[in-house]
Amino acid sequence: MPAPMLKRTTLWVLCVAGTLVAVATAGIRMVVGGERDLLLVGHTTAAHRQIEMACETCHAAPAFASSAVAAEALNETCRNCHEDELLAAADSHPRKLFRAPRMAIYRQQLDVMQCTTCHLEHRPEITRAGGVTVAPDFCAACHSHGDQDIRAARASHAGLTFDTCASAGCHNYHDNRALYEDFLTTHGDAPWLAPKPVHGLSALRREARQELVSASHSAVAPVAPPAALVGPIVDEWAGSAHAASEVNCAACHAPAMASAEASLAALEAQWIDAPDTTACTDCHDDEAATFARGRHGMRQHPAIAKPRDPLQGLDAIGLGSVVPDAVATWIADAPLPTHMTVAETRLPMRTEAASEVLDCGTCHRPHAVDVERAAVAACASCHDDAHSRAYLASAHYTLWQAEIAGEAAPGSGVSCATCHMAKARRRGAVVASHNQNEILRPSTKMIRPVCLDCHGLRFAIDALADTELVASNFQGKPDVQVESITWAMQRLSAAH
Amino acid sequence: MPTFAEQLVLLTIDEDGAFLPVREDSLVCALAGAALMDLAFAGRIDTDLQALVVMDRTPTGDQALDRVLEKIAAREHPAQTRAWIRELCVEDADGIRDDVLADLVKDGTLGLRRRRMPWQPRTSSYALLDAGSRRDVLRRIEDALRTDEIPDSRDIALISLLDACDVLSALLPAGAIEGRRARIDQLRKLELIGREVAGAVADIERTVILALRARSARYRRLLFRLSGVGGLAAAATLLAPRVPIPERFGPDIFALIWQDDGWQQGSGFVVAGVSIVALISALLLKITPAARLRATRWWRLSHIALGIGGLVALFVHTGFRLGVNVHAALMSCFLAALLLGALVGVSTGGAQGLRKMGIGPRLRAYLLRLHIAALVPLPALLAIHMLVVYLY
Repeated sequence: MPAPMLKRTTLWVLCVAGTLVAVATAGIRMVVGGERDLLLVGHTTAAHRQIEMACETCHAAPAFASSAVAAEALNETCRNCHEDELLAAADSHPRKLFRAPRMAIYRQQLDVMQCTTCHLEHRPEITRAGGVTVAPDFCAACHSHGDQDIRAARASHAGLTFDTCASAGCHNYHDNRALYEDFLTTHGDAPWLAPKPVHGLSALRREARQELVSASHSAVAPVAPPAALVGPIVDEWAGSAHAASEVNCAACHAPAMASAEASLAALEAQWIDAPDTTACTDCHDDEAATFARGRHGMRQHPAIAKPRDPLQGLDAIGLGSVVPDAVATWIADAPLPTHMTVAETRLPMRTEAASEVLDCGTCHRPHAVDVERAAVAACASCHDDAHSRAYLASAHYTLWQAEIAGEAAPGSGVSCATCHMAKARRRGAVVASHNQNEILRPSTKMIRPVCLDCHGLRFAIDALADTELVASNFQGKPDVQVESITWAMQRLSAAH
Repeated sequence: MPTFAEQLVLLTIDEDGAFLPVREDSLVCALAGAALMDLAFAGRIDTDLQALVVMDRTPTGDQALDRVLEKIAAREHPAQTRAWIRELCVEDADGIRDDVLADLVKDGTLGLRRRRMPWQPRTSSYALLDAGSRRDVLRRIEDALRTDEIPDSRDIALISLLDACDVLSALLPAGAIEGRRARIDQLRKLELIGREVAGAVADIERTVILALRARSARYRRLLFRLSGVGGLAAAATLLAPRVPIPERFGPDIFALIWQDDGWQQGSGFVVAGVSIVALISALLLKITPAARLRATRWWRLSHIALGIGGLVALFVHTGFRLGVNVHAALMSCFLAALLLGALVGVSTGGAQGLRKMGIGPRLRAYLLRLHIAALVPLPALLAIHMLVVYLY
């Protein structure tokens, strides 16, 4: 063969071989195992950032499934994690509503039976608050014609455009617990600030804690190997709710100990210098469960996909019996780190916090178990957006400082956790939900459980609709006036 | 005695059977001019100020020449020599060449061989079986240029035609033509051609030069402009801000093409299809000079048009979105290949200007290699992109 032809043939062979190797490598990563970061078509929302590379959490259909099967599986995974939330929100547009034959005409406009119709992932360009990817005036799909034509049904809505339905502070698609008409007319007249502005559940929580710590924290002594009883940690523990509750060192550092009466030698044998988060979650199961549903601990949610079984993937492409186990192990997925680092987030964060790992100790300092630090300082040490930065200059923070200094009533201060971590009574105690989503998006979710304890409904709705006021962390009063309460009351008056 | 057309075709094939790198425009015009010169020397045609006229309709016995003669004789209204050159370049040059090649194969001067290169379509090439015929023509030309003797009038006409069509430079060693320029000009001015054909040959030669310049300039202008459009479109795709997806609910063409799965799939397959067809046209462009002349130009323009079509399809598919990760790599490859391809076209179209700067052929060769190199990762990236889309 002449030299030029040989050279050309060699180049062709190299190109074809390189192409085949590249496609095969990518194909194996897609179907069998291995890193897939480079294959992403777009970033996920910040909310799903933690599980972005646990692809099978959402893409649950088997490889090569039809698009209909894949779409159904995808939507089912949405419901796996978010259905309880929708139930709690008394979803205004539940799927069951649209199963009725008369709704078929509306489903043709917008297939609301599928979550992905409005919440597409990997599309950062069109993703709005709440992970919404459909046009802001999507309500027009159903409410601009037929018996659902809201502009014909309500005189007050006659001149409105559909892009204002959700953006003006009047409506949400799913959660309207603080926005429905009866609620507006019942609470619409409340003054902007309550005579005694106190967040009730926060007050109960602080009182219970104060009572616990002041009553008995000095009664117990730390039990630990002498080498471990050094530095400020002993004092931190002594002033903590753990000490007050007689939760001694062994409870976290030697959980295998049968009882506190065990010998020091046995304690030393079982001692773990740096216990993992199971030391916390074994007791704080409510907090652990909600933490795993929230933005900080999502990777621990039981529905998050485990690393793929490479043998299963190899079987799917007919190579199960050909590829040796050692190779299968080599190409397997690396498990997701249990906890995310601050550097991985897509929200504005302080650069100095980049290496922080989001586990219990990051916010609570394990020996002090300091809920006050966890309620403000821990948040402010990482979050660096305008709203977070402005908090330290806000009236809410001033009230919080007064409360923790003992100069103001329990519950009168407003910390980050007051608004973003819902409180609830469980088993006779007030616990803080570690799932921020419960009262985060849309922001009107926090009106009933948080805002209304201190503020009137009209003020709360106006304040949350004023984006500049939200960014400044409510320094001042709202410039925005949402008309929904006025219109609801006018309609009520007209009906009577 | 071989005809001008036969001598011309023979001269453009080297002793290994490879075609000399003669510009297609030059060859096409030279073939048309050669055919008319043959007819003029055979006393079949003549020219005057107004038209090229047939003096004798008797066939010459040469298939190619007789077809041209028949065509000229059949024309009701006589046309100018320029018009005939233009028409023969466009419509008959390939046929003349094919006939001449067939004659040369038939009389054993050339041998026809077909072969298949790896991964490429079958190609035809010719082996020079009787190298003596070519050497004889070449020797006559070299003698005419080297000595001060007055050559045969047909040799003068042949040299004039070869020089007019810029074929002579491909036959002589590099730099030789500059050294012999004075002699060439002297030969072209000699009035030794028979009185009866002198006017016709001179007219044909003059017309061939004009036609060649016009054709070449027209084609190169088109090539330059088309490539420029492609290059600007590629640059725009790279630099222009993405076209936003409309924020209004309801029928909208942009929302449809960038959000609807069916449209996305359709436009994606169009991009892939255009890429494949462009690749085929490039392969045809590569193999065409050995078989067809006029087709070369067609395939080159088609290749550029396909590149522009690919950019339009890419816009429909992406709306100037460059993507992320492996998908951004795919887009980068596409755009790099298109941009470099456009630059190859611009450097081909603007070759004369570049040659004056002394960078023409080398720049084009570098750009062409880069254009091809940018295409190498494309099949893998395209396959991965499609796998990702269909598996997830």
